[in-house]
Amino acid sequence: MITVKYFGNIAEAAQSDFETLNVDSISLAELLEVLDSKYAIAQFPFQIAVNRKIVSKQKDLNILDSYEVALLPPFAGG
Amino acid sequence: MDRYQRQTILPEVGTSGQQKLKSSGVLVVGAGGLGCAILPYLVSAGVGRIGIVDGDRVEESNLHRQVLYNENSIGALKVEAAQQVLQRMNSSAQLEIIPEFLSTENVDNLVGAFDLIVDATDNLEVRYILDEACYRKKKPMVYGSIYRFQGQVSVFNYNGGPSYSSLFPKEDKSLLNCEEAGVLGTTVGIIGMLQANEALKIILGIGEVLSGKLLIYDTLTNDQQIFQLADQPLNPSSKTEIEKVNLVDPELAFSTNSALIDVREIFEQPEIPFSFCIKIPLSELERRLDELDKDSDIILFCQMGGRAIQAGRLLIKAGFNKVKAVRGGANDILKLIEHEIEHE
Repeated sequence: MITVKYFGNIAEAAQSDFETLNVDSISLAELLEVLDSKYAIAQFPFQIAVNRKIVSKQKDLNILDSYEVALLPPFAGG
Repeated sequence: MDRYQRQTILPEVGTSGQQKLKSSGVLVVGAGGLGCAILPYLVSAGVGRIGIVDGDRVEESNLHRQVLYNENSIGALKVEAAQQVLQRMNSSAQLEIIPEFLSTENVDNLVGAFDLIVDATDNLEVRYILDEACYRKKKPMVYGSIYRFQGQVSVFNYNGGPSYSSLFPKEDKSLLNCEEAGVLGTTVGIIGMLQANEALKIILGIGEVLSGKLLIYDTLTNDQQIFQLADQPLNPSSKTEIEKVNLVDPELAFSTNSALIDVREIFEQPEIPFSFCIKIPLSELERRLDELDKDSDIILFCQMGGRAIQAGRLLIKAGFNKVKAVRGGANDILKLIEHEIEHE
């Protein structure tokens, strides 16, 4: 099981702050594709954190059971 | 009794810390919701010199969150109204007000004149300009920003640490998001307070500065999460050539021989009558280029300026030569139109 956390306008697109996915192993690229097909996240700029570390664009990274992935868009209000 | 006694008795502060506060200069960019939370605490703590940059005036709809202002401030320049209140809080504070919006023209002088920069803007375009200048001049920048009930805080360019654009590289779509979103005063208050706290820590040299980290605070759940930035940050995106769009003041938007274009989406308020502008939403601009003349003057506006600049880049890339974007947005245009109608 992996947890995906959403912030800012991405949480709004996903209509939730987080969800758990019942998979044991998935590449980050595959995961992003799945999420994009559900919520069209590719339209937003965002960074990805895996276990609270921003992973830049290492998309061949494997997401394993109990990992937490967070999608972090920039905010603009003030 | 020394007015700072309750903070100087902290071993982490002491009289030497108070001296550091007194001899430091902090530039606060933006005197809106975040700025109104940050400024009183810096002034009260005894920061010696504080610059405040903002070209905006106080509006009634600001008052629920911009708590330095009151009903009598409506219409006044924010920096002037803020200065009045802040000077009464601490008569020895040296307050330098700059009643301008931050731009590529004034950013270097401003950033160069202070030790520490606090980013209290509400605009990504301005944030990138500020970040780039802070990176070049090696000045730490305390970042804070809001999305509805969530806020982000970080410190960039601190002792060679990562910059904002290494966290969020400048990409076209990142500038899209400038429609007005709602916000509670307490959310900007909390995030502004975290920024003021980081500023004081940097000056005093205490604690762990939020450099290389992004804090996200959710005010609905009180969840606070810290994310580590990537180990090898990129440098600011100076390699990517980005077309420069010149800005004009709203007063110059209505010249007879130029086309004024509203690039906001059709539903956005306030509505500017068709008689004053052409409406081509940014999302449709690319396929409606043939409606525009490449050799005539074109002036673009949106809600706050970000999308107008983005539309300008798109036009320049497509071969348009005389493209400008309005400094400010639809509210400024509307005010000018109303003013015009009153005087007819």
